[in-house]
Amino acid sequence: MTKALKLNKSAEEGILEFLKYLLESGKVKGVFTLKRISKNSAIAYSLITNPDELKDAVPFYPLMPVNAGKLMSRFTLKEGAKKPVAAILKPCELRGFIELIKREQGTLDNLYIISSICGGVFPSRTEVDRSAEKKLPKYWESVKKGEISPDLRSVCKACEEFIPYTADITFDLLGNNDIDKHSIFYLNTKKGEDLAKDMKGDFSEKEFDRKKLEKINEKRQAEKKKLYDEIGKKMNGIDGLVEIFGRCIGCHGCSKVCPICYCKLCEFESPDSEYSPSNYETELRKRGGIKVPPGTIYFHLGRLTHIGISCVACGQCNDVCPVDIPVADIFKKVGESIQKMFDYVPGKDVEEEIPLVSFKQEEFAEIEE
Amino acid sequence: MNELKGGIIPSKTGIRETIIDLIEKSVDKGIFDAVIIPMKVPSGDSFVYVLVKDKKLLKDGFPLAPTMLVQGAKAVSSVTRLGKGNMKIAAIIRPCEARATVELAKLGQADLDNVTIISIDCPGVLPTSDFLEDPDKYLKKFDDAYKNWDDKIMRPVCQICDKSSMVTGDLHIGTLGAKKDTCFIISNSEKGDSVAEKLDINLNQNLDSWNSKVKAISEEKKKKRIKAHKELKSTVSGLDNLVETFSQCINCHNCMRVCPVCICRLCYFDSDKVKHTAEDYLTRAESKGSMRFLPDTTLFQMGRMMHMSISCVSCGNCEDACSMDIPVGQIFSMIADETQALFDYVSGRSLDEPIPLVAYKKEELHQMEDAND
Amino acid sequence: MKNNEEFMPRILAFLCNWCSYAGADLAGTSRIKYPASILPIRVMCSSRVDPLFVLRAYLGGADGVLVAGCHPGDCHYQDGNYYTRRRFVALKKIVESIGLDSDRLRLSWVSASEGQKYAKVATEFTNKIKELGANSAKSKIFL
Repeated sequence: MTKALKLNKSAEEGILEFLKYLLESGKVKGVFTLKRISKNSAIAYSLITNPDELKDAVPFYPLMPVNAGKLMSRFTLKEGAKKPVAAILKPCELRGFIELIKREQGTLDNLYIISSICGGVFPSRTEVDRSAEKKLPKYWESVKKGEISPDLRSVCKACEEFIPYTADITFDLLGNNDIDKHSIFYLNTKKGEDLAKDMKGDFSEKEFDRKKLEKINEKRQAEKKKLYDEIGKKMNGIDGLVEIFGRCIGCHGCSKVCPICYCKLCEFESPDSEYSPSNYETELRKRGGIKVPPGTIYFHLGRLTHIGISCVACGQCNDVCPVDIPVADIFKKVGESIQKMFDYVPGKDVEEEIPLVSFKQEEFAEIEE
Repeated sequence: MNELKGGIIPSKTGIRETIIDLIEKSVDKGIFDAVIIPMKVPSGDSFVYVLVKDKKLLKDGFPLAPTMLVQGAKAVSSVTRLGKGNMKIAAIIRPCEARATVELAKLGQADLDNVTIISIDCPGVLPTSDFLEDPDKYLKKFDDAYKNWDDKIMRPVCQICDKSSMVTGDLHIGTLGAKKDTCFIISNSEKGDSVAEKLDINLNQNLDSWNSKVKAISEEKKKKRIKAHKELKSTVSGLDNLVETFSQCINCHNCMRVCPVCICRLCYFDSDKVKHTAEDYLTRAESKGSMRFLPDTTLFQMGRMMHMSISCVSCGNCEDACSMDIPVGQIFSMIADETQALFDYVSGRSLDEPIPLVAYKKEELHQMEDAND
Repeated sequence: MKNNEEFMPRILAFLCNWCSYAGADLAGTSRIKYPASILPIRVMCSSRVDPLFVLRAYLGGADGVLVAGCHPGDCHYQDGNYYTRRRFVALKKIVESIGLDSDRLRLSWVSASEGQKYAKVATEFTNKIKELGANSAKSKIFL
């Protein structure tokens, strides 16, 4: 049983009311959330300090222009927050942030994390061609019914991690048929309770509707199987990889938007990965010809070995790829296969060590055969 | 600027075959050891640059590819940045790629001693997203457009490019104004002269028909360019318009990374200089009541303009790679025209011309001093 | 197309200085026969082996990659090989999951006194690679 706060306001209004209360009461000095930032309504994350600015905030808009976990890391990298700030993050953004904290790239100090039972987001293209507004009503209908909106990112459709693990407050969205009338905030932690306690609303003890969430999870699992089958067919030996990554231009956009990729100087952009004239001469002797710049597949496989263990399958990489390579689908599948070996869910627990920097004295004896 | 000399070579079966033929002959005669040339990838939906040595593979070369995913200058730089090596290399690239290659050589990012740049009259290049919709269909559309020198389906920056036949490398294949079943081969350097000589090509032919056709097309494009820039300027002028134009930008920095002349290993806008403490960010947000996070999108765009517009070759790869379809190529190209004009400079025009921001004259630009007096 | 008898695999072997490299030396001084397919690279500890080395070798055309170190618990640097084990397990899973031949990668614990074991592993692995055939990556252009 968790303490929960109920407001007699629609989800859209309820969250804004809550954020207004947080700022006006001084409980937090800033709120970090999605906001309409321009005349043409481009939607971007914003740090809001004046409650009047909340009128343009759209916290649960189904868009993820940037993985906010990465933004929280940037916010707290040089020094943790000295004054309390509330941040509205989607579950995968929160998990991304936790994985970054494990890598000493941020801190939760003075941060209150508000997340939601997530219905997924649209691909960024939907923002580019302005069709997001038109797709919204259908999206919210799907969310209320706990169904998978057809307009979601491929990895959102297949996502089983739509319930946040470590949020201080979780907003009830997916599968909640009542979001046009009521807002439910689950107060998961003491921090969350303290934050909400002076808000005007109905407090009670509530539980997640496990059965309903299980049903939703089953649907997601079915989608996941479809996704894995489809991408799995293409991952067929070296030729399969050459085909999948044939269009890759080495822009490294996937790496730059990835919440887990944080290296200031990426290995694959460092002198280590440069080919000297004699390297080229060797390659030409061996192969007769080589794509330039070289190392396309090496980059993707290498990035998998570096961050696959922590991939939260947010799908930013898919969106940013200029040549539509399904990077997220591949990283989700391969990432999950390594994570499962260690029973590891990235971002679930900030105290849980990343499997590749820890060990047990007795394990994986079967690898040496 | 060199006086261009040219010869005429037969071109019965099409320009791609003609170029491959020329290259094969050159490799046979030991003029080149390897070639940087576009090739179709096995899945058929893209073209990439390949450094080829094997003669059998050369046949699969695809010069004048319909897409330009990687700027040719980046390909040449990738092969020669760490030195000239022992191989004599020919690079078959478009004029804007040749210009960027020359610019990169000046920036110490390419060693052209053993490189022969061969460019070709360019009809433009397709936007990658269009091509990806239906590769076979669009390849055919491109080839048809090429026959008629029709740029309607090309990148926006290509449609207003007045330098599509600019010669700045060593050799240039001139298809415009050539008699049926022939094309011109034009030399711009001693290296080019030497290649022509070894191939028994007489460089004393009359280039008037090429010159006049090129001039006519360039002037027509120039008119379009001035008009397009005027329109574009009105939509991005002023702080409000500028912020609005870049409001969709997610700071993925794709534009910067695909740009041939953005060479910094660690960009200023990725460095510690732009990383601040939570307290700093909060204070800044408080001053306006709300702050986009991460801030400084417009600063990034303008900063990049400041850093590279003097070397911009208007290739449009930035716009092609933008994940939010912002017309960065058109905007940066427009600004680049103006910054380069300030110094009477054309990016990549000549290896001997220093980049204006790392050179100076003792007496110049006085009109900028105390300009408001 | 070469048939299996003619195909001599090229197997890159990362051997840790204190145990497996010494074990390989012992195989040699004891005149134990094993196929001439192994190209040894000495590292101070098996945990020095960055998965990227293995990937470079694989994509560079090595027919097989062997990583050998001290038995768990006996690492000269206390716990290096525990990390090697985890890293290798993850790498093998990545290679398998992405559709490549993870059988071309092998991890083995060979102590300084295990000359016989080294030869046995080398022979077994070579035979395995012969079954799999040459690594087609070595001739690929669009890598």
